[in-house]
Amino acid sequence: MGLIIIATGSIAALAAFFAIMLSIAHSKLKVEEDPRVERLLEALPGVNCAACGFASCRALAEAAVKGEVEVGSCVVGGNDVAEKISRIMGVKAKVVEKKLAFVRCGAGKSEREKKAIYQGVETCRAANLVMGGEVACSHGCLGFGDCQRACPFNAIKMLDGLAHIDFSLCTGCGRCVQVCPRNIIVLEKFNDLNYRVKCSSLDKGKKAREVCKKSCIACGRCVKSCPYDACWMDNNLARIDSRNCQVCGICALVCPTGAIVELENSGKK
Amino acid sequence: MAGRLILIFLGAVLVNNFVLRYFLGICPFLGVTGKVESGVAMGFATTFVMTITAAVVWPVNMYIIQGLNLPFLEYVSDILIIASLVQLIEMFIKKTNPALYRSLGIYLPLITTNCSILFLALFIPLREYTFIDSIIFGFGAGMGFTFVLLLMSAIREELDFAEVPRSLRGAPVTLITAGLLALAFMGFTGLI
Repeated sequence: MGLIIIATGSIAALAAFFAIMLSIAHSKLKVEEDPRVERLLEALPGVNCAACGFASCRALAEAAVKGEVEVGSCVVGGNDVAEKISRIMGVKAKVVEKKLAFVRCGAGKSEREKKAIYQGVETCRAANLVMGGEVACSHGCLGFGDCQRACPFNAIKMLDGLAHIDFSLCTGCGRCVQVCPRNIIVLEKFNDLNYRVKCSSLDKGKKAREVCKKSCIACGRCVKSCPYDACWMDNNLARIDSRNCQVCGICALVCPTGAIVELENSGKK
Repeated sequence: MAGRLILIFLGAVLVNNFVLRYFLGICPFLGVTGKVESGVAMGFATTFVMTITAAVVWPVNMYIIQGLNLPFLEYVSDILIIASLVQLIEMFIKKTNPALYRSLGIYLPLITTNCSILFLALFIPLREYTFIDSIIFGFGAGMGFTFVLLLMSAIREELDFAEVPRSLRGAPVTLITAGLLALAFMGFTGLI
């Protein structure tokens, strides 16, 4: 019993000694920090997503105080945060264009053909290294959900082996864009366009059709039927030009495979 | 007396160099040796922590661990001492040299987990050094660490401009360099 008391007491005394020493050192060696950094940190989302190019929200705040970055650098926070930052920094905010992530593949597990049995590491990155694992399409979603794990906002759900993005939660930080080994996720402006080509296959029609029921087969019907010249073909893949699109929806009607889709509630964003 | 101290110092710097002889502190050895400036700064920071650690560990070991017969507290007290001292030097560098603080980055708090310092703290009671001996030993070990980091970072700065075969670029050639350095340091074995 006595030993326990001696042991506890001596360690406590040692710890107390160092605690006092450190607290004295802390007050003596305190670094003066710009008080605006703390206020900026409160205004920033604080998820350290690094979409701005800095390692953390704190690094961005420190750079912002020095005037090295513009107030709208936080893409995640959008206009609200830009406004708060501009109020703290005393400068006028620019309007930040809201971008959201969009998955350019529409084929769930049941709709894409398999070419092999994949038993390797269950990440998209690993599967992509071995010729795309079991997915026959060389462009489409692999379905292991690397993007879901990378998303700091839980905006991505894997439904039937395909990434679905909840636009109400997506902030456009671009983490998923970086981790997707097939580059099928893109950041796009969502204020002006409701119709998207939900495919990224660059294969010719026959091959694209063989590996997936929902792929763009480059038939060109959308190009011919679009009254506003907004659709065009690029490398066997239909594209929609947001500057010309009038959101009439004819392209989605004529598409034989359903690769062109209307996005839910995208207009509200 | 003086001769003995010089021997301890030289022994720690050259013959029993912590990095190249005992393979301790490899993490900063490979991590911060990209530039001479940060390598040397890391070396001096570690030297500072090592010297003070030696100075604190000796009385703690003498009067608390052995004096009160509490050998099981050795690791706990050593870790407490090292962690506190690293905190202290972190504050000091942040105050005096913010640029250096940023360039050392995560490796500065990682001095806490630098095995060479714990090794030093555990080694001192084993060797039955006196107080002065252990301070010199700690300082020598730190200077040896700094010396090796300086050598390594200078070599690596030159390596950036050297024509290295493609398959060896980056980590492989760094590890080969470290191995050759360790081989060269074996030449000091017969010095004392």
